[in-house]
Amino acid sequence: MLLSISSSKLRQTASDRPGVAQPVPMRDIPAQPWKRIAAGTLALWLVMLGAWEWHWRAFGVTPAVRNSDGLWAMQRRRIDSGEGGATVLVGDSRTFFDLQLPVWARFDGRRPIQLAFEATSSLPFLEDLAADPQFTGRLIVGIAPNVFFTGSDVHAGALRYYRSESPSQRIGQWLSMHLIEPIFAFDGPDFALATVVERQPWPTRSGLPALPAVRKLNVLEADRNSYLWSKVETDPEYRALTRAIWLQRLASSDDPQSENTQRRSDQQIDRAAKAVATLRGRGVKVLFVRPPSAGPYLKAENKVFPRAKTWDALLAATGAPGIHFEDYPELQGLDLPEWSHLSRADAGRFTESLHRIVERDFWGIDPAKEAAIYR
Amino acid sequence: MVFNSLTFVVFFACVLVLHSLPLASTTKKINLLIASYLFYAAWNPPFVILLWISTVVDWYAAQGLVKAQRPATRHAWMLLSVVANLSMLGYFKYGQFLLDNCTALMAAAGVAYHPPHYDIVLPVGISFYTFATMSYTLDVYLRRAAPARNLLDYALFVTFFPHLVAGPIMRPTELVPQFAEPHRASARQLGYGLALMTLGLFNKVVLADSFLSSISERIYDSDKIPGLLDAWAATLAFSGQIFCDFAGYSTTAIGAAMCLGFAMPDNFRFPYAAVGFSDFWRRWHITLSAWLRDYLYIPLGGNRHGAWRTYAALFTTMLLGGLWHGASWTFVAWGGLHGLYLAAERGLRARFPHYRPGPLMFVALGVLTYALVNLTWVFFRAKTFGKAWLVLSGMLGQNAQAKPILATPSLVFVTAIVGGIVLTHWLMRSRTLESVVARTPAAALSAVWAVMAFAIVAAQGSGNAFIYFQF
Repeated sequence: MLLSISSSKLRQTASDRPGVAQPVPMRDIPAQPWKRIAAGTLALWLVMLGAWEWHWRAFGVTPAVRNSDGLWAMQRRRIDSGEGGATVLVGDSRTFFDLQLPVWARFDGRRPIQLAFEATSSLPFLEDLAADPQFTGRLIVGIAPNVFFTGSDVHAGALRYYRSESPSQRIGQWLSMHLIEPIFAFDGPDFALATVVERQPWPTRSGLPALPAVRKLNVLEADRNSYLWSKVETDPEYRALTRAIWLQRLASSDDPQSENTQRRSDQQIDRAAKAVATLRGRGVKVLFVRPPSAGPYLKAENKVFPRAKTWDALLAATGAPGIHFEDYPELQGLDLPEWSHLSRADAGRFTESLHRIVERDFWGIDPAKEAAIYR
Repeated sequence: MVFNSLTFVVFFACVLVLHSLPLASTTKKINLLIASYLFYAAWNPPFVILLWISTVVDWYAAQGLVKAQRPATRHAWMLLSVVANLSMLGYFKYGQFLLDNCTALMAAAGVAYHPPHYDIVLPVGISFYTFATMSYTLDVYLRRAAPARNLLDYALFVTFFPHLVAGPIMRPTELVPQFAEPHRASARQLGYGLALMTLGLFNKVVLADSFLSSISERIYDSDKIPGLLDAWAATLAFSGQIFCDFAGYSTTAIGAAMCLGFAMPDNFRFPYAAVGFSDFWRRWHITLSAWLRDYLYIPLGGNRHGAWRTYAALFTTMLLGGLWHGASWTFVAWGGLHGLYLAAERGLRARFPHYRPGPLMFVALGVLTYALVNLTWVFFRAKTFGKAWLVLSGMLGQNAQAKPILATPSLVFVTAIVGGIVLTHWLMRSRTLESVVARTPAAALSAVWAVMAFAIVAAQGSGNAFIYFQF
């Protein structure tokens, strides 16, 4: 029963009526001009929303597809729906931003399935594909040493999401891609209210190492093709900020001499070897790729994760071939504005060169040669 | 589907339009019933079958109760309902827990038993709707209520989507009579209902999910050792998070029902201004505590059989109330602590029957109540006793080797938001939201409402499930 009262008398609740049948609840409707209030609210809300959107567009943000578990699940489901023989990419942000699907498709005829996730080791996804008999295609596994060999799992929850995605979540993903993402530039994790407040220049707490969060680096398309955000390339201040963040994070990276670092790295290699063996047992061609990095980033990676103990050990343990950018002149000399990811233009060049190397040396060769490579 | 999702926005808009059409009352109820099944099926369609089982069993049990002549037959019908509901709950919610504990017990006795892991998926909201349907049969059994006049009204009572998965736990006498008459919200009900939904979602999406949840996660879900400040900050953050999450759900549910012209009961009454634990439980999850009181504590004897039976009934009720929240011993510990608090308070009231605190002592007792409630949240939030002890040890300043974990903004968020929540509860402890809204200028209401709505959109919630869905 709904009443209109304006007194401050407390409503009775079930806690005031022990051991009896509870009556129909009484709900007060405050005596207010609700139509006028709602109209005022709507007008104010639209003004605030417009101002927020204008602010982020002025910052250089444009509407784009949101990088979500739901979007990842859409791509993962392609393997379940008849594309099990496709070329699949797993890896971290370098595989994600540096490998351009349209460029690959231009040479290959088919667009690969992009399953890489930033700041996330490819290992859980490698294991997932190994356990899925429907996947019989070709697999490129991107390796960024500080992500793969540490087992970083920021987005590994996407797998759980994909396995348990509800109809409601699927509908929500579709609605978001059609009603929100194409319209609003502010719809991205970097511009969420709490993130924006948290990233204000707060005083540092004593004793706590400064470990600022990585800022927006990429732009995403509906099939998860992704490339470096133009602001990183064109805005010197923003580029300097992204570099400063890498420097701060690199300063707190693992101790190369630590037993823990080595043990963790060995564990990742062991797991990868098992997954690759399963995949190869099914005829899947697995190829590791180490995309370029530069400057202080590369220096820190080489110090903490020396190639002999990580990359070389990984290839030896898995028996799978690999393409390390340092071994191929055509994969060097590219533009990496913030030392870790290629500029959009050079990501296209990198993809083209990589595809040529893959076809020339690994996947397009005669079977006898191929057998020698795939020991 | 969850309230804080785009899917729900579209779903609710469709339901509102459908419900406002000039259709016959029965047609509108059928529409609501179908919508409610869709709402539930949007998680996991096969689990709708459980809803049907629960509905049909209790419908026929209540019919049997009315027709039964002999007490033994009535008793049997009541037992059928209770056993069917609790079996369903037991299998899905406590099956793996029981198996794990049996295995541990057998191992302790030297018997090596390794059962398979069953991976039983918990149907969303099963604890809520089984309690709602059980209250129907029990009220009929206790002759407190007459059975529903038709299956449609009863099925809609069980399934009505605003309360289906996380309460408020409705009694049949609260909702079934409302279905007997045509209901359509007036413009004022619609306006205030939408305002309540915005308030509820603001609590959930902005305060609980965006600002507070990650703070408790950084302590409770990591292997770092927290010091005094971090342990308290995380626990206080969780106290704010769980209130905003659950009270946010209840407020949204009440608002959604109001938009359709129906009234649902209060589930929270500014609980962090409670002075004492009996007061706390009259303010926190009111519909659950009242359910446990009416269908467990009172049947166990209540306070009718002397002090020790009262304490035993109280303690048993709270232990089972803890277990209701989750199949884990940490939840039992949480319930046990609340049982101890309630028993201690009862003992003190009996020992000092004429004591009336002065204003300062009143506030001090309120602060003590809130602090002790926070100690119980440690067991509620921690996944293991090991983690709970580690956080408690931090809260007592015993983790000498702890290093700072939470950054300055996190500490500021906790102070501002949780401080704001507690202060608001104290200011509102003897008022209703409606009484304050009624006295506020319309322009200010528009501004507050718009800010909350804007914050919800700007927060970009990720559609995280409400904490209580898992219960």
